[in-house]
Amino acid sequence: MDRKTVRSRRIPLTIAAATAASMLLASCGGGGEDDGATTGTLDFYTNKAAWEPDFDELNAQSESDVDISLDTTGYSDAAQYDAFIKQSFRTDKSPGLFTWQTGPSLAELVDEGLVAETTDIWTEAVDEGWIGEDLKDAYTFDGEQYCVPMNIAYWVMYYNKTVFEAQGIAEPTTWAELDAAAAKLKGAGITPYYQTSTLFTFPWFQQLVAGTDPELYNGLATGEVEYTDPRIVEIMETWRAQQDAGWFSDAGATVDPAVGLKQGDFAMINFGSFFNGSLDGAGMVSGEDYDMFVIPAVNPDLEKTPVAVESGPLCVAENSSQKTLGLEYSEWWMSPDAQTAWSAARGDVAFNPQATVADPMLEELGTTVAGDGYEAYDRYYEATPTPILTVALEQFGAFIANPGDPLPFLETIQAEADDYWAN
Amino acid sequence: MTSDQTTLKRPEERLRRSSGPDQTTPTRRGDQYRWSALGFIAPGVLLVAVLLYLPLLWTTFLSLTEYNGLGDPEWVGFENYVEMLDDPAFLGSVLNTLLWVAGTLLVPVGIGLGVALLTWNLKGGIWLRLPFLIPYALSGIGVGVIWSFILSGDGALDQALAAFGVDDTPRWLVDAPLNTVVMILATAWQGVGVNALLFTIGLQSIPKEPLEAARVDGANGLRLFRSILWPMLRPLTAVVVGLSIVASLKTFDIVQGMTKGGPGRASETLALTMYKETFVNSEYGLGSAIAVFLTVVTLVASILYLRRQLSTKHGV
Repeated sequence: MDRKTVRSRRIPLTIAAATAASMLLASCGGGGEDDGATTGTLDFYTNKAAWEPDFDELNAQSESDVDISLDTTGYSDAAQYDAFIKQSFRTDKSPGLFTWQTGPSLAELVDEGLVAETTDIWTEAVDEGWIGEDLKDAYTFDGEQYCVPMNIAYWVMYYNKTVFEAQGIAEPTTWAELDAAAAKLKGAGITPYYQTSTLFTFPWFQQLVAGTDPELYNGLATGEVEYTDPRIVEIMETWRAQQDAGWFSDAGATVDPAVGLKQGDFAMINFGSFFNGSLDGAGMVSGEDYDMFVIPAVNPDLEKTPVAVESGPLCVAENSSQKTLGLEYSEWWMSPDAQTAWSAARGDVAFNPQATVADPMLEELGTTVAGDGYEAYDRYYEATPTPILTVALEQFGAFIANPGDPLPFLETIQAEADDYWAN
Repeated sequence: MTSDQTTLKRPEERLRRSSGPDQTTPTRRGDQYRWSALGFIAPGVLLVAVLLYLPLLWTTFLSLTEYNGLGDPEWVGFENYVEMLDDPAFLGSVLNTLLWVAGTLLVPVGIGLGVALLTWNLKGGIWLRLPFLIPYALSGIGVGVIWSFILSGDGALDQALAAFGVDDTPRWLVDAPLNTVVMILATAWQGVGVNALLFTIGLQSIPKEPLEAARVDGANGLRLFRSILWPMLRPLTAVVVGLSIVASLKTFDIVQGMTKGGPGRASETLALTMYKETFVNSEYGLGSAIAVFLTVVTLVASILYLRRQLSTKHGV
């Protein structure tokens, strides 16, 4: 048998195999049908693998209240998790409940009709006084709500109380006082602030820009302000000057931030209010070993102090076989009982004002931020479109590692922003 | 005498039998054999088609589309390839990947050969090679985590150097291209052992006669290596170097474990860029274009290298 004959027989065989495989794959596609169950075990997926025990702890309360328990699968890699969730929409295994991000990421899912509407749940929660209207915006698309808030976190400044007391530093109430505290700490040989060059590279930029001019900050998120705007460059120069003054920790250090604060490697860390759980886990006592304060505005003329707020959604897939069950759980999740239990399990701020917050420090924070002198703004991570965010996180990381002329870093981010907003 | 033997004695009858209706039996058997053979190979062919060819075709198709992982891919032709080649970060990834190729040839392969040469003829040489082999049991991510502890800003190496009064140490994982160089050294720590093992097998398979003849002629040390050992090791060297080129072109795990391609994109390799564009940025089309580029480069490099090294011209 000559080679050509062999090859000509191989080709149809390969095509047949590929066709069979395509049919096999195609048969796996499509969504499942809602089984209509209102009680039972709900499959729950989250990118917060470390919180899995907290969700498990909540099962006792949810079983008692609505006869639903979560079967939690936690992912620790955000990119891997996102890809898994996106692919699951194409199968009959789309999740009955999953965590996601607000902002453009959630808008993508809503645009494709992939998440279940929760307008009725929101209406009831608002009517019952379980949630404020201000949080609704992040979950509203074309007048309808999708998903419910899993949690909220305010981005504040944590500090080591022992270090502050030893240096005779009180909680700063103005930006000038904060600068003075940092200078004093540095003078005593203590690094004032924590920083990292991977992932969480944005908080200080966010703080500086929003604290200078909230409209400028919002303009970056909507594309109305360019990253190369002279006002942004000036803010970056402030950051650079602080870097040059040695106010930030070693960008290449891999020490756990909670452990670093406990050890006094640095005196302060700008983090979300969920950090209480990490600090408690590191053996620090809330209110005794560590405390927090709302970071004062850079611009003293601002009427209200801007506070970054992060809200992570709990969503139900539209084509999930557990859609009804997921929505039942979402409704329960908004209730004071659920939020009280969650606050106790996780050590988190509760978005429901009727819930009891276990940690007095977090309760006080919730009351403070709800006051007239403060205004919440969306965290940079959720407010910024994903492609721009990715480049920005990299560029801030590069700037942190090698602080220098900020313009090239900003130009790189702006190039991505130009590309994004042009499409 | 049996009836068959009688039959065989009659040529005309033999001819009739061979041209009669019984002639179809072997053909039918041949068909049956072919069908059963196809039945046996079908599962393998199906697996290869589903797990290798289909994803390759799908990735190539995706590279010509814009797709965010949701909805349907939108055909954009070669736009992703243009964007890829236009991106300075992609060029940086290509340069880093080339550094990895050169580095892994020089360090893990070079040291592996050195270890093999120094120990293959020694009594108990296996005990000298064994420590080099142990890290090979670790995954790339595991190696990355271990070396991050050593090389991070407050890591074991800096602390050890500080104990000797050396405080002004380089920022191993922060400054480029130093971060890529130290990651190559971490890979060498893991890869030297297996290369040494492969070269030892090659050395042990060299016939004793030419070696003894060379020694009688006074060849020793470098001379023996250059004129006898190295040429006779060529087939094995080709395989080790070929494997090393392929492995270094797709370097991912150790970089992801140590620097995540940062700071910024300073230590990204092509595989990492592909991963980031696809799964972090949800640019499945662009990520697929990089995947296709990487596949083509790896295939071409492997084919060209192995064809050259294993050709009969070189006496193999």
